[in-house]
Amino acid sequence: MLPEVDVMAMSAVARDTVFALRRQIAKIEGTLPERLQAPAPGAIPGKVRRGFPSGIAEKQIPADVTGSDRTLVRRGLAVASADAFLHTGIERFDTALGGGLPRAALSEIHGLETRDAGAVAGFAFSLVSLILKEKQGLPILWVGTAEIFHEAGLPYARGLHALFGIEPEQLLFSEAPKLLDALWIAEEAARMTAFAAVILEIRGSPRLLDLTATRRLHARAQNAGRPVLLLRQAGEADPTAAPVRLIVSAAPAASRETVAGPLAGSIGRPAFKVDIGKSRTALPGQFTLEWNPNEHAFAERTENPVAVVPASQRGTDPAPASGAVLAFPALAAPASGDQPSRQQHPAHRSPRRAG
Amino acid sequence: MISHRDNNTQRIAALDERAEALKLKRGMGIADARAMHPTIDVVEADPEADRRLLEGLADWCDRYTPLVAIDAEDGLFLDVTGCTHLFGGERAMQDEILTRFFQQGFDVRAGLASTPGAAWAAARFHGNRIVTGGEEEALLAPLPLSALRIAPETRVSLESVGLRTAGAVMAAPRAPLARRFGATLLLRLDQALGRLDEAVSPRLPVAPLSVERHLAEPIMLTDDIERLISRLAVALKTDLERRGEGARTLALLLFRVDGAVSRIAVGTSRPIREPRLIQRLFHERLAALEQNIDAGFGFDLVRLSVLSVAAFDLVQGALTGEADDDDADIALFADRVRARLGEAAVLKPVVVESHLPERAVKTVPFAEAPQRRAPAAGRAAPPRTAPPMTIYPPERPVRLFRSPEPIEVPATEIPEGPPMNFRWRRALYRVARAEGPERIAAEWWRQLPGEEEAPTRDYYRIEDSEGRRYWLYRQGLYSTAPRATPPRWFMHGVFA
Repeated sequence: MLPEVDVMAMSAVARDTVFALRRQIAKIEGTLPERLQAPAPGAIPGKVRRGFPSGIAEKQIPADVTGSDRTLVRRGLAVASADAFLHTGIERFDTALGGGLPRAALSEIHGLETRDAGAVAGFAFSLVSLILKEKQGLPILWVGTAEIFHEAGLPYARGLHALFGIEPEQLLFSEAPKLLDALWIAEEAARMTAFAAVILEIRGSPRLLDLTATRRLHARAQNAGRPVLLLRQAGEADPTAAPVRLIVSAAPAASRETVAGPLAGSIGRPAFKVDIGKSRTALPGQFTLEWNPNEHAFAERTENPVAVVPASQRGTDPAPASGAVLAFPALAAPASGDQPSRQQHPAHRSPRRAG
Repeated sequence: MISHRDNNTQRIAALDERAEALKLKRGMGIADARAMHPTIDVVEADPEADRRLLEGLADWCDRYTPLVAIDAEDGLFLDVTGCTHLFGGERAMQDEILTRFFQQGFDVRAGLASTPGAAWAAARFHGNRIVTGGEEEALLAPLPLSALRIAPETRVSLESVGLRTAGAVMAAPRAPLARRFGATLLLRLDQALGRLDEAVSPRLPVAPLSVERHLAEPIMLTDDIERLISRLAVALKTDLERRGEGARTLALLLFRVDGAVSRIAVGTSRPIREPRLIQRLFHERLAALEQNIDAGFGFDLVRLSVLSVAAFDLVQGALTGEADDDDADIALFADRVRARLGEAAVLKPVVVESHLPERAVKTVPFAEAPQRRAPAAGRAAPPRTAPPMTIYPPERPVRLFRSPEPIEVPATEIPEGPPMNFRWRRALYRVARAEGPERIAAEWWRQLPGEEEAPTRDYYRIEDSEGRRYWLYRQGLYSTAPRATPPRWFMHGVFA
């Protein structure tokens, strides 16, 4: 770890040298440079730091007597600036990640099983959609091995626009026959600034994808200032240089919202269950995030009402229909005003009838 | 001695000097030869291998001229017009070719003349002769009729009327000759004498531009080759600039000392002429081919050719000097990946107007995909491939399987409804909710006349008991008709 250095006691030149060295160390360790110029006391760290484990040391040193040029030296947790992080828009989630998802870094997104590939891809695309809000029009590159594209299918350009606002011409795929080639392509792409994001998708826990490989990807992402998302389907929680590891699985979607209330039996917006497997703050957390395709933003579903999954309408499912009161308030009431009654809804939107 | 089968008899096709010394002759039966000399060694002829060897030699002769043609089964035509001075004149060039072939273990005869016909005759009937312009008649006159490259039947019938040399044919009146022996005879004669032009059709298309370097000391290391490529590319750049073009396909030819030729090609998705870019592309290609290139004793000639060109649009750099051309970066990236991993390494989805999900998006190699619209080109018209905007676009999955995967659905209670359980990749899934169906029919306009109508598909959005969302379809309809095939179910995609 970094040595404790009394920064104040040194001359400006020496201090610069120390910071240059620290920056280098930080780069090797895979953390962000640890210097903050004159933050408002407690402004940035205050929110982030609340409830932190006590292992994180923090030291605030006035650089000179006037106190205008303060230098904040932190260890463990590095907060470079506010826009070093991609804010997901969910306060609790951002705080648990230590400010958001790092923008210039490798982030791992795990799916426990290959059949979660849809949820993992959807979550990755929603993150990309957040990134693209600021970098409009930049293409994204999706690198995968032939194995994973065969197992889980290719991202389908027709399904991306309505949900994530990603145009087909913004998407580039690269299918590598072997993992080594996929890593090479991803590394080459990660050092470019022309891509808004690079996504590398790997299945399982290959030995090649070790600490060194992830560190190389991470370093390139840091240099280019672009995010690299490493999607690992059915992978173990191997050692990684990525500062963040999220474990994503599908969550039951809420019903479709209509003017007459939620439509029973329908499948609404995509929802993800996100566990934080690794982060700077080491705060555990589980979140159920729902993607809003209209505003391209996340929303958190705090309590998971049972009614989201209605009881099977055929009566074969023994699950108790405890949430019925919550989910169908509007159905009991007659359609009001000019709204069409339930019978006038298009046929495909009506719930399936049993028998 | 080499034998071949001719009319059900093994005959001698070719033989070496020692066999000739034994008074064996071409065309003699193998049985007879064996009877005369029981110890002779007979090898079956392999025309395929001969052809390959000849093509290898033709490749090697590329070092003298790009115009190399194969003549029948044992000859090569080299069009050296304008190349001789590079090798110190005609005599020096022919000597060098003969010496090099001799060193490689070939017994070669060469002839150099201003017409292909005369050169052919000089090579076959003199060996190592140079015929200057106007001397063709004197060369051909004493030679037998076979020097005229005519069919054997024509030759036999000419001999039967007493015309035994080319000179006699030349002296004979032309009209009766044409009437009796066909136009080919006079055509060959005129071509050999230079009265008619004869084109030699080269084996390989001639590169519009190429630069090469002869090396006194052969090189072996990949690094040296790459350094040489960037030097050659610098020379190429001025030529490309003068023509206002950029290279789309480049080929690197490495001539090994012992005659083997390696040909390495790279393609680009947009025209380039920058030596640095050319060198990087070849760097990837050489890295990918490292195992396959055998440097042997080194390469003594390296040539960089441009095989196809395209107009090169000059781009004015920004005034701030921060030329930030993302598209060019991506094009270079795609080319490098392509150079290393092949044509289909970088793919781009192209939206096609079709309602069949698997046909609605086509993935094409990056180089062939339509270029993105330039953002600065004002208000560009929306691309025609864009689907019409609808208020409720049909929901489509985020991932689509390459080919729909069959799933097992137990007999459902509702024949026309979604399944309650299904088995996919041997795992059982319980359906919690379903939406649909969305019926997608086959495209009748693709159907061949008389072909049976493809069954329609009913697509369902399914959410299983754990919250994962899938896109399934049922192909065909349930039918109560006897012996009707039951519909089949497929998994086609997954939703986010």
